[in-house]
Amino acid sequence: MHRLIARQIAKATDATGAVDMAELATLVASAYEEFDRDRRRTDRSMSLMIEEIDAINCNLERLVAKRTSELRVIEADLRAQNMRFDIAINNMVQGLLLYDSLGRLIVCNQRYIEMYGLSPDVVKPGLGFRDLILHRKETGSFKGDVDVFCSSVWRSVAMGKVTHNVVETNDGRSIQIVNKPLLKGGWVTTHEDITERRRAEERITHLAHYDALTDLPNRALFHDQLKRELARIEPGEQLAVLYIDIDEFKSVNDTLGHMIGDELLKSVAVSLGRCIGGADFVARLGGDEFAIVQTTIKAPADASDLATRIFDSIRAPYDCHGHQVTTDASIGIALAPQHGADIDQILKNADLAMYAAKSAGRRTYRFFEPDMDAQVKARRILEMNLRQAMSDGALEVYYQPCVSLTDNKITSCEALVRWRHPERGMIPPSEFIPIAEETGLINQLGEWVLTTACAEAMTWPDDIKLAVNVSPVQFKSGTLALKIVAALSASGLPADRLELEITEAVLIRDDDAALTILHQLRAIGVRIALDDFGTGYSSLSYLQRFPFDKIKIDRCFVADIAGPDGSSCIVQAVVNIAAARHMMTTAEGVETQQQQELLRALGCTEMQGYLFSPPVPAADIKRLLLSSRDRAVA
Amino acid sequence: MHSRQITWNARAGWTPVKAEPDDVSLVFYFGAREMLACGTRYGELRNMFPMAHILGCSTGGQINNADVSDDEIVAAAIRFDSTQVRLVHQDIADAQQSRSCGETIGRALSREDLAGVFVLSDGLNVNGSELVSGLVAAIGPGIPITGGLAGDGASFADTLVGGDCVPRARMVVGIGFYGSAIRIGHGSAGGWDLFGPRRQVTRSSGNVLFELDGKPALDLYEHYLGPEDSKGLPGSALLFPIQVYDAREPDFSVVRTVLAVDHESRSMTFAGDVPQGWTAQLMRGNLDRLAEGAADAARQARTGLDASEADHQFSILVSCIGRRLLMGQRVSDETEAAGVELGSDTLRVGFYSYGEISPHAKSGICGLHNQTMTVTSFAEVGA
Repeated sequence: MHRLIARQIAKATDATGAVDMAELATLVASAYEEFDRDRRRTDRSMSLMIEEIDAINCNLERLVAKRTSELRVIEADLRAQNMRFDIAINNMVQGLLLYDSLGRLIVCNQRYIEMYGLSPDVVKPGLGFRDLILHRKETGSFKGDVDVFCSSVWRSVAMGKVTHNVVETNDGRSIQIVNKPLLKGGWVTTHEDITERRRAEERITHLAHYDALTDLPNRALFHDQLKRELARIEPGEQLAVLYIDIDEFKSVNDTLGHMIGDELLKSVAVSLGRCIGGADFVARLGGDEFAIVQTTIKAPADASDLATRIFDSIRAPYDCHGHQVTTDASIGIALAPQHGADIDQILKNADLAMYAAKSAGRRTYRFFEPDMDAQVKARRILEMNLRQAMSDGALEVYYQPCVSLTDNKITSCEALVRWRHPERGMIPPSEFIPIAEETGLINQLGEWVLTTACAEAMTWPDDIKLAVNVSPVQFKSGTLALKIVAALSASGLPADRLELEITEAVLIRDDDAALTILHQLRAIGVRIALDDFGTGYSSLSYLQRFPFDKIKIDRCFVADIAGPDGSSCIVQAVVNIAAARHMMTTAEGVETQQQQELLRALGCTEMQGYLFSPPVPAADIKRLLLSSRDRAVA
Repeated sequence: MHSRQITWNARAGWTPVKAEPDDVSLVFYFGAREMLACGTRYGELRNMFPMAHILGCSTGGQINNADVSDDEIVAAAIRFDSTQVRLVHQDIADAQQSRSCGETIGRALSREDLAGVFVLSDGLNVNGSELVSGLVAAIGPGIPITGGLAGDGASFADTLVGGDCVPRARMVVGIGFYGSAIRIGHGSAGGWDLFGPRRQVTRSSGNVLFELDGKPALDLYEHYLGPEDSKGLPGSALLFPIQVYDAREPDFSVVRTVLAVDHESRSMTFAGDVPQGWTAQLMRGNLDRLAEGAADAARQARTGLDASEADHQFSILVSCIGRRLLMGQRVSDETEAAGVELGSDTLRVGFYSYGEISPHAKSGICGLHNQTMTVTSFAEVGA
């Protein structure tokens, strides 16, 4: 009997053993209901569960489909990324190797294989580190001991140390090898061919210390070497520093071009190199400046001997791209330790000496002397004063008349600049004109004289001409003709009343350019006179090449003209040549009646000098001109 | 130790009537709320056993050996040879105080020779998980804590607990067993079958569950219960307990039973915590397997008792009201199955509860269980 029915019967049975059938029926019916309810619940929950699980399955399927398509996209991305990665590592400049923690190759790029000419069939993922190095040893691109090398790499990887090594290959290349351990074991190695970089670095180092044009040490290296030499001087020893400045180098550059100029510098550099001894050295300090350190000289004469050798060497004409170029130099010499034991002092003194050589007319050398410094300072002060005077209007134009030897009438007046210094009084032009020329102030000064004099000449009688001196520096500015036109038009002075006096220095160099300017001036209508003729080169070819209107015979011939072996024949020759070429002649510095008479007899056209009048201020010359009007003055 | 059973019913009053001088030190009694609420029965017991600690609670049915009844009070009077007992009772205002209440009782019972604790608690106004966790915190994890939450049939209106006083609502009683002679065995098992998909607890707060898989929890229950059973909520929800576990520790799952539902917020209140983020799965009962579960719990208690067959033994069975609702008239299947394991001459009393307290079968950590049969066996060995 089922224990439930047994339990129900027991429950429906009273103490007497009688079974209450109604009670039993209620219990049984209730049990049936419970079973039914339980079955219904079970059915319901089962079918709901199936529905739910179905829905979940559908969701899962959808999710799987979605994830699958996402995975496909990711996979494609990964493939593309891998491809890009492959392209990237195979196009790297460096050879690249990636090892796992057991030293097995994971990645090796094409560049590495090419670098060492390895076999791609051997060098591929999975190859052990030692086997790879063995392969390199066999194929000849590894020179060391395989095991020693491998264990040193393993050690530094184990210590987590990044290592950098540069090895030289058999064919002379430099390879930089970097080993970098990775966080999760293994390491990455890069091999980079740094041959070019090294060469470039060497080149940069060279460029930093050597002059690119002449390949001589530059100023920086010169200073280093000189410093070393100065420190090495033993008691009783001395050395010389020679500062060499090529004279007139700028005009070579300006007239023949930079190519020729550069060639000249190179040739000079070679010459200087040949002049020095084994322990000496030469450097180019920049532009046209060179320097030599002459070590362990016995006496100053050793330095002057070297200077002489240098002059001999560089004065011979150089062939620069087909041009025969002559050159010269100004050399300053300072001796250590007597002229200074520290580098700044010795360099400054050599420079001062060089400057003194220049001031002495170039083409020479000077040893440093203690008062050179003072001279340079004085000169600098004078320059400042001149600038000040120009801006303050403290300069004046004086005029000196020029008289015809035929009729003793004033024909023209020469404008001459005068500077009255507030403390020093009158400063001679021979003192300040060179400074003005050197500093370029002459352009401004000359222009001022020209415009002032032109304006002044307009107040004179119409037949009196005006003569104005033009410096070679003004010639080089290239705007001389324009400035003259401007001065003429500003003043209203007719061009044929203006006479420009030039010296042969204008023509010595660069005479083609000078001739061009002279012809331009002539075209304007101004007259051109050759000043100070007879000094300097006084090449007769100048007279041949340009039809000057006038030749001014230098005062030295005039002063000497009356002597027994005087210069009368020279004056005669000049007068004859001038006459033959329809040029006038003016004798300068006439001081005596005798001179005047002699000049007149020799056929000279005009004279100028204290005999008639010194240079006088504008007001005085105006008075003189008015008073001498229409009558002879001498 | 000696234990004997007495019962009360309206017809016969207390039987058997007490005959000998009283040396009983502890009395357990369990009965329907209506039978206990007046306090008369407690008064009668107090008269019968003036020296004893008397503790009892309202139930969802009383277990009297193999029988399950609703119309009688079942009690057990126990005399110990050497074991001391101490009783602590504590009123509790609301579920928020559950943990501190557990700690208070735990501290009061704590003593070096404490061997075990049995707890009866209000079944509706206490968070059982928190209560037990408070107890464990106070007395330490090594001492077994067993017991249960009082029941109120299928009406879920009021539950009563009394400890040396007239049973009343919002009370927790703990009794401590001291000394080296006492032996306590315990076992807990469900026997429920998991069914349906695993769900995520997507919104919950303590023991209130709002959402599973982003949908209101009550909707799911009503769907599964159908229109007829839904009317019986919250009691009918006991037909579908849920198993919850932390996905990181799937072995330590617990079963939770419903105490109340809120139709407005579509939430359900469980007898223990349902932590957000945990995994939940519905369960359903199969009568045979539920009975097997009860046998399993009894077997655990017997084997863990550490006493000889000759020693007098006594067992308290606390089983979940949900099991009874499901099993109907066949509920005796599980009490019989437990009896077979415990031995037919072992006195077994107990009740159908709103929650069971026992160490977890696998982890040994004391906790609140639902939908289980828990068995606590006592014996006293000679000094």
